[in-house]
Amino acid sequence: MRNVMLLSAGLLLILCAGAVFADEVVDPEVVAHAERLAVGTCGTCHGVKGVSKQPKFPRLAGQNPAYLAAQMKAFRSQQRGDPDAIGYMWGMSASLEDSTIEALAAYYAVQTAVGASVASDGASVARGREIYEKGIEAAGVPACSACHGPDAHGIADFPRLAGQHAQYVMKQLASFQNNMRNVAVMHGVAQALKVDEMRSVAVFLETLP
Amino acid sequence: MNFRFPRACLSSGLMLVLLTFLVEPSAHAVPSFARQTGMACEACHTVWPELTHFGRVFKANGYTLDNLKQVRGVTVQREEILSLASLPPLSLMVQVAYTQLATPLPDSSGVGNSQNGTASFPQQISLFYAGKIAPHAGAFIQLTYGNDSGTLGIDNTDIRFAGLQVLPGDQSLIYGVSLNNNPTVQDLWNTTPAFGFPYATSNIAPGAAVSTQIDGARGQDVAGLSFYAFWNESFYGELGAYRSAKQATAGPLDSASAGGVVSGIAPYWRLAYEHNWGRHSLEAGLYGAKFKIFPDLAASDGAGYGQVLKGPTDDFQDVAQDLQYQYMGDKNLFSVTATRIHEKQTYSATALALGINTVGADLTTFRAAATYYYKRKFGGTVGYFSTTGGAALYNPADPANEMPASLSLTRADTQGWMAEINYVPWLNTKFSIQYTGFNKFQGLSSNYDGTGRNARDNNTLYLLGWLSY
Repeated sequence: MRNVMLLSAGLLLILCAGAVFADEVVDPEVVAHAERLAVGTCGTCHGVKGVSKQPKFPRLAGQNPAYLAAQMKAFRSQQRGDPDAIGYMWGMSASLEDSTIEALAAYYAVQTAVGASVASDGASVARGREIYEKGIEAAGVPACSACHGPDAHGIADFPRLAGQHAQYVMKQLASFQNNMRNVAVMHGVAQALKVDEMRSVAVFLETLP
Repeated sequence: MNFRFPRACLSSGLMLVLLTFLVEPSAHAVPSFARQTGMACEACHTVWPELTHFGRVFKANGYTLDNLKQVRGVTVQREEILSLASLPPLSLMVQVAYTQLATPLPDSSGVGNSQNGTASFPQQISLFYAGKIAPHAGAFIQLTYGNDSGTLGIDNTDIRFAGLQVLPGDQSLIYGVSLNNNPTVQDLWNTTPAFGFPYATSNIAPGAAVSTQIDGARGQDVAGLSFYAFWNESFYGELGAYRSAKQATAGPLDSASAGGVVSGIAPYWRLAYEHNWGRHSLEAGLYGAKFKIFPDLAASDGAGYGQVLKGPTDDFQDVAQDLQYQYMGDKNLFSVTATRIHEKQTYSATALALGINTVGADLTTFRAAATYYYKRKFGGTVGYFSTTGGAALYNPADPANEMPASLSLTRADTQGWMAEINYVPWLNTKFSIQYTGFNKFQGLSSNYDGTGRNARDNNTLYLLGWLSY
């Protein structure tokens, strides 16, 4: 009886391991499909390697895959409701399958993020750095770096912000503030931010490598 | 030297004015693209039909971007041999309009005036197939019923194959070929004639009698194949060739063909540079074409010259510059478009037929417009237009060689301005009030037709309801 139990446990372990392993195996067909999509479709706005030139569209190169996948799923389920999400991404993500989303996220994660760009307003950048690193205590704004990392490369599910277009970051902060992009944590953070403070943080982030 | 307008020529003058009614800009914002991509109109248009940078890239890519479920076919090597949207990319466009002239046109009987205040219901209805047709091919095909022609006919058409290559340094190269029926319909900017301002005008009101060949004169009358490349979404180059492809004419073309048959092929070229920074986009470019055209004298001098499709031609060399600036804020949108087209005309064939010396002329068209929109909802445009010089088939060196006066009516100079107020309650619905004022009409400010009609009598109030769905 004991042997049977051991055997069963062993089998179960193998099956579980198999299931985990199967989950990790990436179908090359899906990867190839995702690459074609990334270059030919997503690339129209986000750049062929995720480095968009238009500040309206976010740079995706080097972005955390977990964050990217979560966003694509939020577009697909129409839960992310900022105007550009509705206008552009609800449609583009509508027929994406989970496996394609994961492969797209992986594609962008390994692309080389852009280097620092030169900001014109040094005072704004300095103020932005201060807010990013220390927050605004008086207004109850926590340090951005606590979640997004000291280098703004993101941590776990929190997105990379380094090198992102300032215009895009500004727009997202405004969307969090008025809850069009419904994320409780960021709504709390952005609520107390004034427009010039948002701008400072955004231009600072754009300068980061 | 002043032009003479004998009474006998008035009817042909009126004919010319009427002919100008037939030259109507077609217009185009196509909801089937929105259905195909799942994106709102604002992705591709500031306010339709003006394109955003994304819209230009979408067009250069052959209208193929999509998110619809596809009917697919693949080979065993996984090569995609069919990718067809499960829904056809169809749309309908309806224009209803009302036109009021400052002074009604003379009645064709010569007694009294025609009725002023013309309702057009519709002015135009168009059916589009606009979208992807294969993995790298797409089409923009427009069938239009116009109330002036009373018939359904082919309108602007652009069928494309496009590819994308990622170059070293992650730069992109979009390349492709366009098969189309109107020089500049394939162009990406709203400066060139096919998709330039004004996007819609009355087909009742008198307009300029003369235009350069590239400025819509050959629209839907030719078929052209052009090859283009768009490097890094900045530098654009295109080379093409057009050949006569007349509608409602038996092919092959013969001496019974309607006027304006192109001899051989007409080369077309385009160069442009676009720079985007922040919310701004700036484009500057050059474009041109050369048409050798068999003259059609039968219609104008009544002397029985036929459309003989051999021998000498009249030559038209068009070279144009264009400029576009766009600012796209979240609430405020602003754009400026301008183009100047210069045409060098050489009337060798006409001169030969009429037994006079070869004559040449220069025709220059300039158009500029500035548009502002608030929240893509309320907006307006002011524009200036001018066509000067040219077209007078008259040899100044030898007054004895003066052309028949009926032809001299084709004198060009037409200048004026336009102002338009738009209300766009939904992204696919536009209501416009447009006013066109003329400073000069066919060469003169006053008494341009010899019967006392002044340029400003043609000032036009135009109300337009424009739906696309």
